[in-house]
Amino acid sequence: MRRVLGTLGLLLALMLAMSGCGGSKKSNSSSTDKVEPANISIWTPFVDPELKTFKAVVADFEKSHPGIHVKVVGGTNDDKIVAAIRGGNAPDVAQSFTSDNTGAFCPSGAWIDLSPYMKQDGVDDSVFPEAPRDYSKFEGTRCALPMLADTYGLYYNKTLLAKAGYKSPPKTISQLTAMAKKLTVRDSSGKLKVVGFNPFPSWYENVPAHFGPSWGATWMNGDKSALDTPAWADQLGWQKSLIDWYGYDDLVRFNAGAGDEFSASNAFETGKVAMHMDGEWRVAFLKREAPNLSYGTAPFPVADGHQDLSGAGYVTGSIIGIPKTSKHKDQAWLLVKYLGTNSNALAKLSNGIQNVPTTTASLESPLLQPLPGFQTFLDVFGNANTTTTPITRIGSANQETFQSFVGKYMSGSKTDLQGGLAGVDKQIDAQLKQAEAGQAP
Amino acid sequence: MSVEAAPARATLVRRRPPVAVRRRRFLVAVANHSLLIAAAAIFLLPFVFIVLTSLMTNEQALSPKLWPDPFAWHNYVEVFSKAPLWRYALNTLIYGGLATLGLLLSSIPVAYALARLRWRGSNAALLITLVAMMLPPQVTIVPVYVLWAKLHLVGSLWPLIFPNFLGDAFSIFLLRQFFLTIPEEYLDAARVDGCGEFRILTTVVLRLAKPAIAAVALFSFLFCFNDFFGPLLYTGENSQHWTLSLGLSQFRSLYQVQWNLVMAATLIVMAPVILLFFLAQRAFVEGVTLTGVKG
Amino acid sequence: MSAPAANPPLLLDRTKAKRRAAWRRRGLVAAFMSPWILGFTIFFGYPLVFSAYLSFTHYDLLSPPRWIGLANYRYLFTTDQTVWPAVKNTLWFIAIAVPLQVLFALGISIMLSRARRGVGVFRTVFYLPALAPPVAATLGFVYLLNPATGPVNTVLGKLGIQGPLWFDSPQWAKPSLTLLALWGIGNTMIIFLAAVLDVPRHLYESAELDGAGAFARLRFVTLPTISPVILFAVVIGVIEGLQYFTQAYVAANVAGGSASYSAEGASELGYPEDSTLFYPILLYQQGFRYFNMGYASAMAMMLLAVAFAVTFVIVRHSRRFVHYQAPGR
Repeated sequence: MRRVLGTLGLLLALMLAMSGCGGSKKSNSSSTDKVEPANISIWTPFVDPELKTFKAVVADFEKSHPGIHVKVVGGTNDDKIVAAIRGGNAPDVAQSFTSDNTGAFCPSGAWIDLSPYMKQDGVDDSVFPEAPRDYSKFEGTRCALPMLADTYGLYYNKTLLAKAGYKSPPKTISQLTAMAKKLTVRDSSGKLKVVGFNPFPSWYENVPAHFGPSWGATWMNGDKSALDTPAWADQLGWQKSLIDWYGYDDLVRFNAGAGDEFSASNAFETGKVAMHMDGEWRVAFLKREAPNLSYGTAPFPVADGHQDLSGAGYVTGSIIGIPKTSKHKDQAWLLVKYLGTNSNALAKLSNGIQNVPTTTASLESPLLQPLPGFQTFLDVFGNANTTTTPITRIGSANQETFQSFVGKYMSGSKTDLQGGLAGVDKQIDAQLKQAEAGQAP
Repeated sequence: MSVEAAPARATLVRRRPPVAVRRRRFLVAVANHSLLIAAAAIFLLPFVFIVLTSLMTNEQALSPKLWPDPFAWHNYVEVFSKAPLWRYALNTLIYGGLATLGLLLSSIPVAYALARLRWRGSNAALLITLVAMMLPPQVTIVPVYVLWAKLHLVGSLWPLIFPNFLGDAFSIFLLRQFFLTIPEEYLDAARVDGCGEFRILTTVVLRLAKPAIAAVALFSFLFCFNDFFGPLLYTGENSQHWTLSLGLSQFRSLYQVQWNLVMAATLIVMAPVILLFFLAQRAFVEGVTLTGVKG
Repeated sequence: MSAPAANPPLLLDRTKAKRRAAWRRRGLVAAFMSPWILGFTIFFGYPLVFSAYLSFTHYDLLSPPRWIGLANYRYLFTTDQTVWPAVKNTLWFIAIAVPLQVLFALGISIMLSRARRGVGVFRTVFYLPALAPPVAATLGFVYLLNPATGPVNTVLGKLGIQGPLWFDSPQWAKPSLTLLALWGIGNTMIIFLAAVLDVPRHLYESAELDGAGAFARLRFVTLPTISPVILFAVVIGVIEGLQYFTQAYVAANVAGGSASYSAEGASELGYPEDSTLFYPILLYQQGFRYFNMGYASAMAMMLLAVAFAVTFVIVRHSRRFVHYQAPGR
């Protein structure tokens, strides 16, 4: 019954739109959208305290769309969402922290194609900057909207740097390396006490995807994996030499004693690490958990010889979409549209969570109140050389395959860098082929 | 020490062995005991450390200090506020209780049919049961998961509970082995009295098989309590239905790692089982022996 | 047998009565067996067949299965670089951890059987760890063996030894899991203890008469007599080794989690460096992380084949070592 009404409503809206009434072109949509009242649910990976901000913004949505009640479930993750869709009891709106799974959601229809709704409401995807626009659609199908982005840069402990005589953060990799070595402190038994820069693979945010942009490294060539390139060889070579300088086992011990990334004992927040690659959200965490830490932010140093990339970084972000099992797709779309394109909503989310808002309009919103240190990340977001990882059908499997090799190379289990990279390319290509097996070309 | 104090046999005349032999035997016994004590100490050590850590503050747990100072008794209270352990416990109870009930209801008749009723396919059925026992569960999980997904029951505990109402290979086998030991005379006497097989089962057999049934029930409940893979697969996405095992494993990633609390939670999860053991020691040991010696 | 029918004068009536009784009997058996027949069909028979079918398809639960013939098997045997380490890890476990567990349980049970005093206390102490839920025990061990702050390395450090990296080292991760497994051999130990205590005394006495010392008695009386139980323990151990999941999963997530990117964990399966990536874990990852259910089914079929083969081999070769006592069971 509801679906019939919903379809009628859709037709009505389409007719109205075609006749020029209603259906505004502004991205701040009004509540003239005619839909039935409903109870819908949204799943988000946020947990407190960020969840509180999220719920507040959702409450704003409910106020401007009376009749639609939204149940917010926090603490979910991609696996849960995927499992729920497959299990048949997914929410009406789902948010994912990683845009990687777009490649799995879109072609299979797990998240519905939003283009009809967008056309109907006059939302054009040019409201999104290029990178978020790209990582929320796959092969032309837009099944998600970006909602808040993450960019990565360098955090540095001003106190520790000053003690070692440094007044400004490093701008190139060789500067970073030199400073890291000088800032490292060992205790009397030789154990690492303070690490200048921790190069350990997969520790906290140390994944190849985040380092790649500083070397101009890319992932694919057309639709084949292309990691066997000088750029990646240089990046990994640098990482390995720094790890060897520290001593692999010493770093393992240091990591085992360091706190959890998202705990108050975070190694950077407690001064155990002087310089650190992290995302823009860390600014909010620092304010909450380590207000007395004197720190600064800057774009991540670039490789020597790649000066042109200065100021760039890696970007990825959350996406929101509507699982195909939703019984209230129209209402769900309103929520998706609100969270994805409403400048006020995005500004409010950004202020509370300190993530980057994802429409060009919201970037200029007067409501935006970035904390000190946050501006760096807005700049990185706006930099033309900032890149993201390409969306593929295998989701994040390509990154995990690469990380697996990187881990082994850094520990010394594998020594052939060139051969290893070529091998990873082969593996990823095979995985891509496997994922498309049996499909009509 | 004096093995030879055993009842002397008419054909054998024993004298006390010479002092040297007795002394050697004594030393061997001492060595044996010392080894046992050492091994026991090593076995207890992990428990000791876990208890000690559970009483430390978070900073201490991350440091090389071995003895809590001060004793943070409130950890045990804090654990409950950090994770809904009561809900997990309730879920575990529901899962274990219902599954065990279903298992008993369904496995007892089957075991009886395999043990005491003679019919043509019974050997084949037994063989199939054995095969089912040995099958790694991973072989069947994909289709079974798909089945539950289509029924929209993924996210609940039903995929874990319901199969037990249709028998469990291991319990069937165990009970069958036990039923085999019931003397035929008891059953024949009941038959002569005009009892149908069902009455025989409920009146005669059940009464005689109480220890075996208790052991099977105990094992089944323990299995459910300890089960990680099942809840992970079917309730992983829905934390309302997590069991204690699953909840404990996630205790560290949802909330920051606080090892002192994790250890306290670990002990809290271990406690019911250990308590159960002390209360039902005999059933435990008997049950375990049933599986092995008769196996 | 069926109740004696009243004596009808005609032969026909008697056969009819017998047939009725026979049908009633079949109905009875069917009634008793029905739960298991249903259960086996739904949860074993059908899944096995469906699994075999799925192994030739590409299936991600979102769209209907796509037939792809042998592609999954080809990928499994030639291209997937994670399968071979997974197989090796599982084989390692079966070849090393299982025998160690059996030997250790045997050793303890024999020592216990010789003990005079406090057997009950010892038995409890050795059994207690087996009671600990696997997740709890694994968490405990990961903490204890933390290379930087764990008590074990702290104590070793005081003794002047630099402890290994345990769960954080590819070389030591599996041995650490083995230690965990050894800690929990209580069940096996009790079974062995019961068996050892069951050895008839007269066998020992005759051996003593023949001049057999303690070791000889062990080798020629105890072990052969309990060999069926040893076989049983080995078979169970191997079967459990082929299914080994929980401890490896939890240990990898916990040890790897604190050092890793992604608040969602689970890409840490096999940490560190695939050393704890056992076959069931890989299967789970493929089927329920990446939802390559067709491929996971192919892996499952292979597991089935191996499980059968291994059990068959063990039971076949056991005849050389196992001595069954006079007509028992």
